[in-house]
Amino acid sequence: MIILECMLLFFLVMSATMAVIFEKELISIIFLSIFSIILTAIYLIYRAADVALAEAVIGAGLNTAIFMSAISQIRKGKS
Amino acid sequence: MKKKLTHIAVITILAVSGAAVFFNLKVMSLYKDIPRGISRYFISFGLQDTGSLNLVTAILYDYRAFDSLGESTVIFGAVSGIVLILSRKMLPVSSHGLSFIVKRTLGIMTPFIALFSIYVITHGHLSPGGGFQGGVILAAISIIFSIVYGSAFDYKRYSPQMKTTMETTGALMFISIGVLGIFFEGFFLDNLNFLGGKAGTLISAGSIPIINIGIGLKVGAGLAIIFYSMIQKTFREEL
Repeated sequence: MIILECMLLFFLVMSATMAVIFEKELISIIFLSIFSIILTAIYLIYRAADVALAEAVIGAGLNTAIFMSAISQIRKGKS
Repeated sequence: MKKKLTHIAVITILAVSGAAVFFNLKVMSLYKDIPRGISRYFISFGLQDTGSLNLVTAILYDYRAFDSLGESTVIFGAVSGIVLILSRKMLPVSSHGLSFIVKRTLGIMTPFIALFSIYVITHGHLSPGGGFQGGVILAAISIIFSIVYGSAFDYKRYSPQMKTTMETTGALMFISIGVLGIFFEGFFLDNLNFLGGKAGTLISAGSIPIINIGIGLKVGAGLAIIFYSMIQKTFREEL
């Protein structure tokens, strides 16, 4: 179990770094979504099921949709 | 040169604040031996007091229900502000949506998503979840409608007026349960214990399921309104 936890924490830090360093907004949003999913798994390992459900729904679902709509609005303004 | 200086400054600030947080947590572990009265009380007497198997829901909607009222007020303020700024008129805005395959697939999946959200809301006192999480899943249905089928479909099925009515109904449900608590139990937002059945069944835990349903309606409708008023401008030029 501790190996799985360490692996998940490593991937968490990796995905957060990836979300910061990429220039394109779309890739950053995808990595933020991956970040939320890994964080959900970590919450489940720590037995916080309520927080895990909230994180999965808000972080991976709602945030991605709202960021996507914001991105499409920005691109339309540029062209 | 200036960029490098900024990088160094950012890295230093991050390192210093990280070290501060780390040492703070290290100091806090000294207090472990002091008996943590209130959390121990919640763990031992929570089921007796409220009849809710999920202790998180019991704390959120019974012991600390006034905080939840504050949270839902914050959501109400956010929805009001966003609607005031972003959407001048509530007009139906059309877009073509995605392809045929996506439309048919989500046509099959959407009822099950709705069923899952209703399950999460109504079983908040028995299993993980509760009003807030289920409400966000309800809002996801509206998001699916406006992305996949176009926002005109979302407008026709669930008009903004209906969403506003749902949000107000949820808030009124919450507050009226609180006022009923004054009459029957003596305190604002106290648990109405006479409603409850045997612990572990669906109709139990007094007023917690009703508050859950109210919060679910409120959060779902509020987030759907936020998303609709954000996407409203986006597709206007595609007409």
